[in-house]
Amino acid sequence: MTLLDVENVHTYYGESHILEGVSLSVAASEVIALIGRNGVGKTTTLRTILQLTPPREGSVTFRGEDLQGLATNEVARRGIGWIPEERRIYSQLSVAENVRIAVPSDRDADAALKNAYETFPDLERFGDRDAGTLSGGQQQMLALARGLAGENDLLLVDEPSEGLAPRIVAAVADALAAAAEETTLLLVEQNLPLALDLADRFYLLDNGQVIDSGDTDEVRAEDERLRRHLSA
Amino acid sequence: MTFLLTVTIATEVVSLVSELSPLLASGFGLRSPAALAFFPDVTLVALGDALASFLQPVNLFDVFLNGLAKSALYVMIAVGLTLIFGLMGVLNFAHGSFTMIGAYLGGLILVLTVTGTTGGLARIGLFFVGVLVVFGVLAVLGGVLEISLIRPLYDRSPVYQILLTFGLTLVLDELVRIIVSLYGLQPISDWQNAFGTRPAFIARSLDFGPVDVPGLALFQIAFGVVTVGAVWAFLTRTRYGLIVRAGSEDAEMTEALGIDVRRVFTVVFALGAGIAGVAGVLLMWDPVWGASVPLAAETLLPAFVVVIVGGLGTFRGTVVAGILVGMVDAVMTWWFQNAISFTGLPQITIFLILVIVLIARPQGLFGVEGVGGH
Repeated sequence: MTLLDVENVHTYYGESHILEGVSLSVAASEVIALIGRNGVGKTTTLRTILQLTPPREGSVTFRGEDLQGLATNEVARRGIGWIPEERRIYSQLSVAENVRIAVPSDRDADAALKNAYETFPDLERFGDRDAGTLSGGQQQMLALARGLAGENDLLLVDEPSEGLAPRIVAAVADALAAAAEETTLLLVEQNLPLALDLADRFYLLDNGQVIDSGDTDEVRAEDERLRRHLSA
Repeated sequence: MTFLLTVTIATEVVSLVSELSPLLASGFGLRSPAALAFFPDVTLVALGDALASFLQPVNLFDVFLNGLAKSALYVMIAVGLTLIFGLMGVLNFAHGSFTMIGAYLGGLILVLTVTGTTGGLARIGLFFVGVLVVFGVLAVLGGVLEISLIRPLYDRSPVYQILLTFGLTLVLDELVRIIVSLYGLQPISDWQNAFGTRPAFIARSLDFGPVDVPGLALFQIAFGVVTVGAVWAFLTRTRYGLIVRAGSEDAEMTEALGIDVRRVFTVVFALGAGIAGVAGVLLMWDPVWGASVPLAAETLLPAFVVVIVGGLGTFRGTVVAGILVGMVDAVMTWWFQNAISFTGLPQITIFLILVIVLIARPQGLFGVEGVGGH
């Protein structure tokens, strides 16, 4: 069953035409990798889905409902979560508060926090500390914990391994694999082996357009089919 | 914003310079009659005597108490402004007008309900009825203004919001000026009938052995502590407070978590306007301030100083800066009332604090660059 359908969207920043007719679809329980060089429109695609940067043309439908005209908070309440690039955790809130804010009511917050600490045990001992004092890897764990706490049907994950040490990247990959057991993921990732390992299918973006797509089983990170569009 | 602040501060400076003009005309000659008229007691001996007098426990306690009372007022005046800026990034120049309207409205409620036979406790009770009514009315006014006038400007440059709220304060001030003129109240001088509603134990000093404690100062301190405690509890102990703090740091991320940040904007603007109005009710009983149309400008300046010194948009910073400014104001007021006969200088010291903080730590004592937060 198709969960998300992005159909021929054109998105602009001012007069800059960023997405030039992007189409993609995500089925329930799938993990989709959105890959491509820097600046080709991967993050903009996620922002377009969330209506943070609404498209001027085309449509985004979620469970058959057109998201056009909805505010971002309304899109989120329909079950789309976001783990943004550079994490964007609340540095002045405590670790526990960063998780609690993602849960719609205080009633469910304790359970969400317990789940977060079970998934990311390192976070528990920092629960009362300001999140801004955590290391980059811990902040990424917290961003994942916050994203998962919302219990969304679709999670948009933007560059989760960016700037992290290899040991932390492995932990992030494990966390994402665990998340994929429970929810659908649309993953933007420059780390190609990681993306292909996690994902069922991929879309390759270049200059604001989808230029290739397919099952990840069909390709390998070193294939010329991908490399010529990914190398700088 | 810089331009408007510069204009308002320049107005203050011009006012002070005009008071200093006899001294300036004398070329600052310390032996000239003009200088002596302004600083009649400024000799080393006199300063030494003044210092000895200042350090007497009774005077220190008096200054400390006066400082706490001033701090309470400054925090009360500034807290709504910082809540609004912290979350919404809107520098609300109409904030002082909300305080002024609160002072008049609170005064009106008390003048209409208090009679000569009303007891002290009943007057306090009516004061708190006034506080609740003023909070409600100003919150509704703030909410309506946010939805109708400010919301359409969020996607534009902050200059639009500043100009709008600056225009709003002119409109509100003139409206109140027209109303008080129509009812024969003096638009400039403080509203004496409102002072008359104070209970006796607030209007006079309370005798504690060697120390006379002004009842009004105690009342202001208690009121300020309760208000700060209530706002702190709201921000740190409620889900809505958590949302406000999160939204202050990253509104877009908060929106993406399913929270209607625009609605939170309205609630916080209403809350900030309501607290500003409540501050006005408190000032209405204070002879130094009182209900008057110029109260809008008189409160806006120290509110900006406190908010900027504390760090734009930080509640914790506003409380600390309010206490700092209040204490410095009290100390300088004592010195310039008892050692140097020039009452305008305590105001200069408040602006000096602002200048020093802006030079040493431009983001304020607790501010984080590019971040609001509480």
